[in-house]
Amino acid sequence: MKQFFYKSQQTAVGAVLLTVFLLLVMPESVRARLKSAIGGLFLPAIGISTTGQAALESLGQLGTTEPDSYPANQALGQAADRSPSVADLRMENAQLREEINQLREAEQWGQSIPWKSKLVRVVGRDPFNWWRRIKINMGANKELRLNQPVISVRGELVGRISEVGPLTSWVLLVGDPNCRFSALLKESRSQGGIVSPRQYSANPRMVELTYLPNDVEVRPGQAVVTSGLGGGFPKEIPVGQVVDSWISKDGLYTEARVRLYANLNQLETVRVLTHF
Amino acid sequence: MTGRINKTVALLIGAYLLVFLQSHWQGPRGWLGFQPDLTPALMVCAGLALGAGQVGSVAMLTGLWLDSLSANPLGLSVLPLFIVGWAVFSFRGLILRNELVAQFYLGTAAGALVPLLQVWLLQLVGANPLLGWEMGAWCLVNALLCGVAVPVFDRLAKRLDRWLSHPVHDPNRWPNANRQIVRGKN
Repeated sequence: MKQFFYKSQQTAVGAVLLTVFLLLVMPESVRARLKSAIGGLFLPAIGISTTGQAALESLGQLGTTEPDSYPANQALGQAADRSPSVADLRMENAQLREEINQLREAEQWGQSIPWKSKLVRVVGRDPFNWWRRIKINMGANKELRLNQPVISVRGELVGRISEVGPLTSWVLLVGDPNCRFSALLKESRSQGGIVSPRQYSANPRMVELTYLPNDVEVRPGQAVVTSGLGGGFPKEIPVGQVVDSWISKDGLYTEARVRLYANLNQLETVRVLTHF
Repeated sequence: MTGRINKTVALLIGAYLLVFLQSHWQGPRGWLGFQPDLTPALMVCAGLALGAGQVGSVAMLTGLWLDSLSANPLGLSVLPLFIVGWAVFSFRGLILRNELVAQFYLGTAAGALVPLLQVWLLQLVGANPLLGWEMGAWCLVNALLCGVAVPVFDRLAKRLDRWLSHPVHDPNRWPNANRQIVRGKN
């Protein structure tokens, strides 16, 4: 028994080390396929969670429409305690107005852009805090391709597609160490590069604009847009606003901290630019 | 043996759900500003309750599931999780494993060690993760959360095991205390 115990320990350690070694020496393409296959194991859970969420939402709607379907009760004053106050109604009205305005704005923006886009839903996020990626509910089945730009519903830059699976895709968010691109200050048209912050920040909306010429005046509040250089992103997509700036340590260029327009922690629906 | 299989299955289901929640439930990110990683706590539970093979299997599957949903190279999280589970498994004879405080300390240590090992391995393979001093604060809070999670997971696993297993047969236990003949001088 004791011998078996020790043998099983050796086998366990050997199996784990062998697996890790095999995964490390595996060709990148095989590893990517394996990763996609293992990630696919979560598709049933995603499906159940999405269906459950939709069911809960519809139940919630049922709950809110129920009192309206019995006007007689209200007339009798039976539901007087359930009727909302004027202040509540005003607040709800304001929220609805804001929502309508946002949707109108999104639709107007959608119509105004010269590119074709697809609205997709965010279904997941990288569980590790040192990466900034989101998972969207469309993949090769909806003809999404690698490196396609992703923007928020209101048209602010969010990132680019970094992995395309059969049913889902991964989007690399602006601020991830692997998402760098050329951007410019909208007023002065001075070009620089958007990079991730040098140090991890709990605020995902902060990135850095670097390699700006020293003779350019960089003021807080200046708008930053994509430059279109390199072909990764189309020109003039809004990125963010300058917060502060400084001269680099070697004195060769100016750097600035930029606050992104898109709230990357609260993305629910995004737009993938399919033709640009 | 059946009890151990039940525990393994329960822990694997728990690991699957935990990894899924960490990736797809954004509540904690909204409240805390970061996504906690409670898989080290799960490995401590595995190390405290399971055998060598099961600890290896739980570490391997949890690590692969985690990496498949992240930008980490596949298999990178397996080794840190296994090291933690294995350390607990090897020294569990010396640990008061049912004590709440011991479980909290084990979880806290594991919660601090696993991210550090993961970052070290990431830098070793040439990846470029986003790091900084704020990450230290995150690591500390995450470690404390893991410390709290170990007793919770342990009690949950024991309850599940009780539901899924037959009660242990004890030949010396009387089914009814009223029928027991107690011999004595009085």
